[in-house]
Amino acid sequence: MADQVAEAAPSSADDKPQAESDVVIETRNLSKVYRDFWGRQKVQALKALDLEVRKGEIFGLLGPNGSGKSTTIKLLLGLLFPTSGEALIFGRDSSDVGKNERIGYLPEESYLYKFLNAVETLDFYGRLFDMPADVRADRVNELITMVGLDWAKRRQLKEYSKGMTRRIGLAQALINDPELVLLDEPTSGLDPLGTREMKDLILRLRDEGKTVVMCSHLLADVQDVCDRIAILHQGELKELGRVDTLLTVKDMTQVRAESLTKEAEEEIRAVIEKHGGNLVAMENPTTTLEELFLNIVRDSDEKPGRRSTQDG
Amino acid sequence: MTFDQGIPDFGEWLFGGFVVSLIRVALLIVGGFLIGFLISSARRGPVEGFYSVSKVIASSVVDLINWSVPRTIAMAMLAVQEAIRRRVLIAFVVFVVIILFAGWYLDVQSDNPARLYLSFVLTASNYLVVLLALFLSTFSLPADIKNRTIYTVVTKPVRSWEIVLGRILGFVTVGTMLLVPMAIVSYFFVARGLSHDHTVAQVEAASAGDVTHEGETSFDSHHRHTFKMYSDGTGETDVVTSHWHQVTKSGDGDSAAYEFGPPIGLLQARVPVFGSLRFKDRAGADTAKGINVGHEWSYRSYIEGGTLAAAIWTFEGVTPQRYPDGFDLEMNLRVFRTFKGDMEKGILGSIVLRNPDPSAKVRRSEAINFTAKEFSSDKQTIPKSIRVVDNQDGSIRDGDLFDLVDSEGQIEVWVQCGERAQYYGMAERDVYILDHDAPFIANLAKGYVGIWLQMVMVTAFGVMFSTFLSGAVAMMATLSSIVIGYFSTFILDVATGTQQGGGPLEALYRILTQSNVQVDLEIGQAPTSVIQGFDMVFMMFMRAMAGLLPNYSKFSTTQYVAYGYNIDGTLLSIQLITAFCYVFGVSLIAYYLLKNREIAA
Repeated sequence: MADQVAEAAPSSADDKPQAESDVVIETRNLSKVYRDFWGRQKVQALKALDLEVRKGEIFGLLGPNGSGKSTTIKLLLGLLFPTSGEALIFGRDSSDVGKNERIGYLPEESYLYKFLNAVETLDFYGRLFDMPADVRADRVNELITMVGLDWAKRRQLKEYSKGMTRRIGLAQALINDPELVLLDEPTSGLDPLGTREMKDLILRLRDEGKTVVMCSHLLADVQDVCDRIAILHQGELKELGRVDTLLTVKDMTQVRAESLTKEAEEEIRAVIEKHGGNLVAMENPTTTLEELFLNIVRDSDEKPGRRSTQDG
Repeated sequence: MTFDQGIPDFGEWLFGGFVVSLIRVALLIVGGFLIGFLISSARRGPVEGFYSVSKVIASSVVDLINWSVPRTIAMAMLAVQEAIRRRVLIAFVVFVVIILFAGWYLDVQSDNPARLYLSFVLTASNYLVVLLALFLSTFSLPADIKNRTIYTVVTKPVRSWEIVLGRILGFVTVGTMLLVPMAIVSYFFVARGLSHDHTVAQVEAASAGDVTHEGETSFDSHHRHTFKMYSDGTGETDVVTSHWHQVTKSGDGDSAAYEFGPPIGLLQARVPVFGSLRFKDRAGADTAKGINVGHEWSYRSYIEGGTLAAAIWTFEGVTPQRYPDGFDLEMNLRVFRTFKGDMEKGILGSIVLRNPDPSAKVRRSEAINFTAKEFSSDKQTIPKSIRVVDNQDGSIRDGDLFDLVDSEGQIEVWVQCGERAQYYGMAERDVYILDHDAPFIANLAKGYVGIWLQMVMVTAFGVMFSTFLSGAVAMMATLSSIVIGYFSTFILDVATGTQQGGGPLEALYRILTQSNVQVDLEIGQAPTSVIQGFDMVFMMFMRAMAGLLPNYSKFSTTQYVAYGYNIDGTLLSIQLITAFCYVFGVSLIAYYLLKNREIAA
């Protein structure tokens, strides 16, 4: 683990040349201590975090509740001020408002003005970017269609369900076509279908060349989309690296085969034993619940009204 | 109404009070940065301290350069939408309901119904709008921070300056959207409430001089007039409840018909032209002030009756172009009686107009006698053709008013009290020439501008407090600033010791022990010093607060409108400049508070 941290740290020598142009986010020794009214230390929410996020990657911040994921994102955005260390975005200090021109942010819950409707909401956020009226109108329509809220665009947000609010929240984060998207628990409150759409969208953003930083405690979501992850616990960085590398179990071999007979299975067991291996499991694989649910929904969309015949 | 608050001279105000205040504020700002530097130096050393202070200043400059008007407007529009969707326009409905039922509790038999009606509508609008500004401005930003809707705003390229200014602009827009209809409704309420006419009740022939008929009107709107008709077919009623009507006659004999015009003198905006005042003592020698008759009211000083003592006003700009038919002189003299005399009768006095130029052809007019009406305005008409005293033989002959005006357009008005051992009291603004009336509607509008400015300032203070306090606390803080602002004259009196009875702790002790404000505290040296020491610190604080916060009563020009005086352009400019400076300064503080606040903490 130690060497992995070192690899990401800015001090690392062989990272330097390419990092200069490609580094989107850089934190140096970033720490945050929450204090109470009298200035007494309450919680050390983040301890000396060194991170580097490069252009075009999907970076996941992973950890249980209260591990410092949201604190990190808020420090990056300038919503919180670091106790020590610094956070640089596009090479600028996180307190610099100018950096926001190139950033999109979807907060933990979509904190939006409930008295506005979808069009007014997006129009308002578009104005904050000084977008000309015609560009703004086009962009608003485009985004509403993209998040699938055309049918409800004139309804006040207070009538929206949680999933719909989440979608409009995502739309506002993309209003300025940002280069860097920060997503705080992007899939919270979404149904499985919405979750999948969100994940597809995150991948699409990456394909468009944007950098995505997301934090989540839903491991499956992170596993599905992230290129690299950092695992935080109690404010400390515990693990950092590429998802595929981290998840590869080096001393385990998995064999998957179709249409094997009982005899063939016995034969394989024998081979493993002969080579001194230890058979851990041999069984019919299960799919993930997410896969199952999505299959049922897709099936039901094709043949409405019938109870699913999916076996599983 | 008296002008004791006074309308300061603009230049005097600008270079006397205003520039000094600006310098003080500038010193405060520099002091603020210095304290910031010292605090961060103590924490992290002088280099870091210097770095962080210069960073704050540099980033403010960057913020200013990147200030975007469209973004500010977007923030303002959001505030307006928020207010409207929260149904604040209900306040207007409340106002209309109050107006609708006003008829139940406004005294219909008032001597001056216009004053009553105008005071009522203006006060109602003032309180409602200030209250609305208070609630709107203090709860919005804390709610945004609490609901975290602010997260999606401050993570856009929005500067704190734009958030603060947008809020203030938005709420001011909402307040204006309420105040303008209130003003219009008020005008029609007052105009309709006062408009009435009369018919003739009885009339009989008379033959006193020019008067051909005398009569009485019908009893309408809780009063009746008597009227006189002149040989040319026109006539006029007497003045009842501060107004009169013109009467025209058509037809003759039995078929004669009398028609009464609309009430005159109710809705007016008199324009006082003030002069400068000097005194002569009882021996006729020049003196700076008259006699002080006690602590009663040190604002005025007094001249003794039956002596050479005189109060002399010098008026400028008295030209035939300005006053072609002469002018009206309005007097608000006070009377101090050393013996009671006949209380029904006023105290006699005289006015003499004099030419300030000693070599003038005509030096003085004949004395115009009058009776001082205590506690009400007294109007003397000075006609163009006036009886003057001949320089050579002292005989009295017909002359022209403008013979008494010197080459620079100056004229002196000498007021003397005629009765021995009685005194007239006066201050500079008690006697003035009435210029042509200004339009009433414009004056009402100016009165509403005063209310509007109060609303704007309350909004700015509310937004400022709401950048670092929660909604309810911000409201209390703003409310306190309003209360201190309205009573700042009194608070300053307490703080400077002009009000007897000591500071708050001493006053509390006196109330509890029921001790007179004039006796010394009889509790020994040590406790007295403790109490007075505490009070001294507290009074310094009071002085600072009352000096720093806007004196809202200076913006309340409702009295001018209600009493029928024109709100002077100077007064209005002073109000506008003062309010602008407060709003600017308070916004600046709000900007720094919001910028350096950890939004997500």
